[in-house]
Amino acid sequence: MSDTAESPTEPQKEEPQKEEPQPPSEDSATIEDKKKIDVLLKAVGDTPIMKTKKWAVERGRTVQSLSQFISRFLKLDATEQLFIYVNQSFAPSPDQDVGILFDCFGSDGKLVLHYCKSQAWG
Amino acid sequence: MGLESKCQGHVSDDPGDYWRRSCPPPGSLAVMELCVQEETFHHCCQLLLQQSEQLRDGWSWESVQSALVASFDADNIEEDIADDDGGVCSVSKDSREVLQYEYHILYSCSYSTPVLYFRAFTLEGRSLSLEEVWSSVHPNFRIRLQNSPLNTITQQEHPLLGQPFFMLHPCKTEEFMKPVLQLAQDQHRPVNYVLTWLSVVGPLVGLDVPLMYFTLLLPSPALLSNNKPN
Repeated sequence: MSDTAESPTEPQKEEPQKEEPQPPSEDSATIEDKKKIDVLLKAVGDTPIMKTKKWAVERGRTVQSLSQFISRFLKLDATEQLFIYVNQSFAPSPDQDVGILFDCFGSDGKLVLHYCKSQAWG
Repeated sequence: MGLESKCQGHVSDDPGDYWRRSCPPPGSLAVMELCVQEETFHHCCQLLLQQSEQLRDGWSWESVQSALVASFDADNIEEDIADDDGGVCSVSKDSREVLQYEYHILYSCSYSTPVLYFRAFTLEGRSLSLEEVWSSVHPNFRIRLQNSPLNTITQQEHPLLGQPFFMLHPCKTEEFMKPVLQLAQDQHRPVNYVLTWLSVVGPLVGLDVPLMYFTLLLPSPALLSNNKPN
């Protein structure tokens, strides 16, 4: 699964993620889907904090896809489940487009997502 | 499971007494409750129902009184029955097969949390096997859930209806509720425990909780001008 839909919005100290061209998708990925929204990732509890917290993510990217990206970035092992919360009040469905979440819950031009790793279902 | 055993033999007239005992003593959680009191559970369900009516999402509240319930206070055990009319939640191997899922939210005395029971049928009325149900668990969770001995989907007799259902074990509820409750508390933001819980467990078993449940609370300008239902 490619990581190319995200790009950091802050200058990185370490080696940045290599950007490859996004492979074309079979379904109707619209121009709208390619537009990027700003996401701010905040760690909860003991979860490791990501060095880069601000990311530009394609609107059409799903929560699950972003979750997998964070899990790989944090090098979580197979038994650890990542949970993502919006607005400190609910967990978005894994199939939800981040673009829609941004429309509904974004503020100050960004979508804040809290993430937490857990042994629940691990 | 513990759903019956803890409730039987309870004699106190004050339900509050029992529920306080079933939760960890205050102090050990530093004021924050990770479980939900039965009264709060009812209140949360009522709020959820109001929203469901607005969204026409199909939840209903059923008070079930039966022989199974008679041995303890019937008010303590109530359930929501979601009747997904034409609610197609997933597909099986044959992608043209339509399945009907039914979800029930019950209150677990042992864990002081909601617990999700569900069953699934084909349109001909054949109930799905455990294997088929597993294949409908969201890939995001499937492997971990299958490897986890306790937190898994098991076949259980519905405590009120006495019929075979699938159940998602509630023992890890506190664990995934803790982060969001902590966040909400830090921000002094109210949380509907049942709704939040549902948003986490629902997708595991094919139940989508529409975003509108959460946007109804805080309409944003973007939403008002761009009303796309999910």
